[in-house]
Formats: sequence, structure tokens, C-alpha cells
Amino acid sequence: MKRERIILGLLAVLVLAACGTTSTSGGGGNSYAGKTIKLGAILSITGAGGVYGPQSRDGMNLAVNEINKAGGVNGAMISLTVNDDASDKAQSARLAQTMIEQDQDLALLGPTLSNSAVGVHPLAESLKTPILAVSTTGIHIVPDCNFPDTTPCKYVFRDSLGEETAIPDNIKSYVEDKHPSTGVLLVAQDDKFSSDGGTIVQNTVGQYGITLLATIKFSKTEADLSPYVTQAVQKKPDVIFITSLGGIPAKIMTEARKQGWTGQFLGGNGFNTATVSKQAGADGKGARSASAWYIGNTFTSNAAFVSAYRAAYSKDPDQFAAQGYTGIKILADAAKRANLTFSDLAGDRDKLRAAMETVNIDTPLGPFQFTSDHDVKQTVWVIAMDGQGGFTLVHEIKAS
Amino acid sequence: MGQQVLNAIFIGSIYALFAVGYTLVFGVLDILNLAHSAVFMLGAAVTYSLVVNYNQSFVVAAVLGIAACAFMGLVIEYVCLRPLRRRRAPPIAALISTIGLALIIVAAVEQGRPGSFFAWLWVDGANSVRFPPNMLPNPTWHVAGLTLEATKVAVVPITLALMLVLGYVIRFTQFGRGLRAVAENPRAASLMGLDVDRMIALTVVLSSALGGVAGILFGLALSDISPYIGRDSLEIRGLAVIVLGGMGSVPGAVVGGYLLGLIEVLALVQFGSNVHAGVAFAALFLMLVLRPQGLFGAQLHERL
Repeated sequence: MKRERIILGLLAVLVLAACGTTSTSGGGGNSYAGKTIKLGAILSITGAGGVYGPQSRDGMNLAVNEINKAGGVNGAMISLTVNDDASDKAQSARLAQTMIEQDQDLALLGPTLSNSAVGVHPLAESLKTPILAVSTTGIHIVPDCNFPDTTPCKYVFRDSLGEETAIPDNIKSYVEDKHPSTGVLLVAQDDKFSSDGGTIVQNTVGQYGITLLATIKFSKTEADLSPYVTQAVQKKPDVIFITSLGGIPAKIMTEARKQGWTGQFLGGNGFNTATVSKQAGADGKGARSASAWYIGNTFTSNAAFVSAYRAAYSKDPDQFAAQGYTGIKILADAAKRANLTFSDLAGDRDKLRAAMETVNIDTPLGPFQFTSDHDVKQTVWVIAMDGQGGFTLVHEIKAS
Repeated sequence: MGQQVLNAIFIGSIYALFAVGYTLVFGVLDILNLAHSAVFMLGAAVTYSLVVNYNQSFVVAAVLGIAACAFMGLVIEYVCLRPLRRRRAPPIAALISTIGLALIIVAAVEQGRPGSFFAWLWVDGANSVRFPPNMLPNPTWHVAGLTLEATKVAVVPITLALMLVLGYVIRFTQFGRGLRAVAENPRAASLMGLDVDRMIALTVVLSSALGGVAGILFGLALSDISPYIGRDSLEIRGLAVIVLGGMGSVPGAVVGGYLLGLIEVLALVQFGSNVHAGVAFAALFLMLVLRPQGLFGAQLHERL
């Protein structure tokens, strides 16, 4: 009996010692080794958002490979699963539920489209799972993901530049350069990204002396945009604002040029990929937008990112690739400092969320910290399509 | 206004060509073949892939694209329609089976990876592409304030010529007489010695080939080829056109196509973009209230 007590006592001491080892490890170094940090991304690989999702995926995979090759996060490997929501809002929400509840991912990234985010983000918030938006730029993404309820969402973050910053910056810089006086807005009324962009244009142009001659609405699934473009062109505006995404901007540009219009196209985040610039070709030359990233930026980690991306995929990255890459780096940094247990998923999700709020790292987008609203505050690059599938830099607007 | 009327005539041609495929099958089988929108897309996608990935001339690629659609017509008949017909399944079953095939075709195209036939989807991460700009001469003329683009202008006579040929085939050839006999009464046609299954297969093949032609013309003239071009907006409009024209009526599909194009554009000009789609379909509804059988609505024996 006495011997048993001694053995039990020794065991208790060993257990306490083990606990002490874990708790004194600070960043959680030893407890991470051999573990897996499961992340899930919901991206639009097909459908309208397929113009953007593949680049986000490639950027994320590049970051995961880099981190894992360098020994992981305190020894834990990152496992990233990318699921295609086919640009469908309902499918996006279904995927999110599965990844949170069934796959038990620690955190999510995405979805690609703002239209899908209005379903996915409130779900992640209600299930207390951190989610990082890497390309959604619409209104009410952060912090009020449950809009019209304006209570700030605790679990929703984004590293993508909101259109409420980008579109006014773009309009302001063009007005300073060329002094346009009239414009027409073409907007896909059944898409949140496009209609949000349209609202921002409507609310902004007056400040800069531009008269909006007409707002022409169409469906994002419209087969032939010619009648809408004809309506716009017949108003003879100085500027046509296009806030749509996917293949629509290029279709509008091509049709407007065919109809003989020679004015300026101004757009939003929907322009900011080489795919759209390629689709528009010569018809898009000079079309301006404000971007969260520019390939030639001189931020510390950008050159390494661009060269690694080129080596991995034999092509140049774009803004969406840079934001996807940055998204993984943000989550890895937060996970490193979160002191994860790998046994209490709900607790780990909370710890990760708290750690995300204090992220402070160098990224291809520049030095990165979230604002108190979980949003970004960064340099904005006004870029113009070069007519050959790329972009040229027009202005650099430093974060104020 | 003149430019908008031109826009209406052009898109009306596409609507008509697309809807004729629907109406041919409906006229013979009383079944809506909802794989038709996917076949429409397939015509454009195959042609594009042959031009871009296999360096074929547009003419060769288009012929092969139409042949691929005709073959898909056989698949529709042998996989989706005939087995259900044999089991005397209700028409709704064929509706579901053709929807299923449409989803498979679209998924097959959109999943094309580098090195595969449909690699174009992934070359640039793009899901909407256009034929190479210099593939065909495509001058644009500006006449009296109107913009006339060669590829769009060409769509109209091509559509009308195809419809005339189709009308001739249906009215004056042995195949056409057989087709009308099967449409009127398959059992009687069979008793008269007609191979009904063969006639149905030929009808679906013809319908699919026409769908392929429509898809290629759409891709050429609108500079838009993607897995979704049939599904997104033409499918519903194609159905509206055949209801407007009269279910199963080929002339009805042609007139209905142009009429829908015109109504949509006039509604846009007169009522603005906010409400034009609602106005256009309200006008269609009103016409159907006044004439439920459609413009060319006919009794069964007068179909096709």
C-alpha cells in the first residue's frame, strides 16, 4: 500500500512537471512539433470568380510550401485544403459549414466573392471560427459582417483593400490628372460586389465635380451587353465607370470601343488581375483602377515573393496571389504566437483570433497590421491596363 | 435608337437559332431537352480549343465543333431519352435526365486542366475567352451613326439561311415528312413502316448540330466563350421564345426569337435598365394571356 502511494506520488510529480514544461514554453514551441494546423480556403476556382480564385489559391499554396519547408509553425505543419464554391453563394456557405464542423479546420480563408461572403462570414462568426477574407472588397465585410446589425464581428478579418478606399482614391487621382466632367455607371445589379462598387461611385463622383449622366443596370448573367453599352455611349460621357467582375469589364470595354467611344474607363477591384487585362487586350489600354498591390513595389518581402511565385508557376503573380500569400503568412504568424493546444479546437480558435489582432509582419502588401475594425490600412497603387495583359503604375498613394 | 434595333436583330438571331433546337425536339417528343444549353456551349468550346490548342483553321474547327455537338445529340438520345422512352417514363423524367447531362457537360468543360482538350480554361486562370482577334477578318463599319461589325452582321443572314434550309427539309424532304409523321403520331408512323427511333435520333442530332452552330456564332460575335454561356441567360430566354412562338413550331421559334430581342431592347430604351427585364417578360405574359398557344400555336398535327 505504502509502495503504491509512493508510485502514485511520483506519477503526480511527473505529470505536474510535464504540465510545467508545456506552460513555460511561451510560444508553444514543443507542443507544436509533429502537429498539423488545418486551414481551409473557400475560393471561386470556377464560375464568375474563376478569374480571381486560382491566383489566390496559387499564392496560398506557395506560402504553405515555404512555411512547411522552413520547418513549419514552431514545428507544426500547415495543411491547407482549397474548396471550389463555383462562385455560388449557397455552395460557399455549405462548404464553410462542412469545413468548420466536419473537417474541424482551425481557421478559414475566403470566400473569393463579396456576394458569397455575406453568407459565409456570419456563419463563421456564429460558429466562432476565425475567417480571413483575402479578396472581398465590398461594403459591410468588416467589421459589421452581420449588417444591418452593426455589432462588430469578432472572428472576421480581411487583408483585401476595401472598395470604399480604392474607388474614391482612383476617381480622385484621375480627376486630378484629367479633369473629367461627366460619367456613366454600368453596374451588375444582382451582384453585391458590383452593386456596392456602384453605390460608392454614386456617392463619390459629386465630390470631384463629375456629373453622373446615367446609371445603367444589367444582370451579371446577361448574354449580350451591347444594348447597355449603346445606352452608355450615346450619353457621350468622359468616363465610363465599371464596377463589375469576371469577364464583364472586358466585354464592356470591347463593345464600347467597337461603338467608337474613346473615353476613359475607371473601375474597381474587378480590374486588378492580369486575366481581365488580357481579356480586354488593346480595348482596355489605359483603364484605371486602384490596387492593393503592384508587382514592382519595393516592400521588403515583395521581391522574394515575386521571384518565388515565378519559379513555382512560370508566370507573374497578381494582386489576388499576393493577398492569398499574405493571408497564409498572417495566419501562420498568429498561430505561432497563439500557444495552441491542438486538443481544444474551440479554445484554439479563440486563441488564434486574439493573436490575429496583434499581427505585425512584413508582407508583399507592405508592413501588415489589422486596424481595430479587422481591416487593412495600406499603400494604394493606381494602375492602368497596358493593353497587353499587364499593368503600368500611375500613382502610389501612401496610407494616411 | 437605330443602333438598339440592330442590337435587337442580332441577339434575336441568336435567340432564334438557339430556340429552334429546343422546339425541334419538343415538336417530336413533347420533351424539353435541357441539355441543349450545354450543347450550345460545347460547340463554342470545342471550336475554340481546336483553333487555339490545335492550330486548326476556324472553318475546320467549326465543322468539327458542330460534329461534336451532333455526336452529343446521339448521346442525349441513347443515354437520356431512349432508355426512359422504352420504360414509358413520364416527360418530367427526361427533363431531369437532360438537366443531369447538361451539368456533366459543363463540369467536364470547366474542369479542363493543362494538357487536356479544354486546357483553355486554365491557361490564364480565365473562364471567359474569345477567339484570337486575327482568326477571321472582322471589320467594323460606321454608317449613318450606326456601328456595324462584320461578325455580328453575318450572324443574321446565316441564321435566316439555316432556317430556310431547315424549313425546306421539314416540308419537302422524305426525312421531313417522316419527322412530321412521328410528331403527329409515333405509333401510326411506326405501323406505316417508319423507324421511329431512328427518326427521333436524327431529330436530336439535327437539333444539337443547330445548337452548336448557335454557340459558335455566339462566341464569335460576342467575344465570349465560357462554360456558362448557354446556362446563364439563353436557357430561360430560349424557353420563353418557344412558348411565345408556339411550342414545337419552327417558324414560331424564329419569329419569337426576333420578337423577344426587340421587346427587350425597346423596354430598355423606353423604361430604362432598372425595369426593362420585368417589362419585357410582362409583355410576353400579356401576349400569352391573349394567345395561350403562342404566336404560331398549332394543334399537334400541324407541328413543325
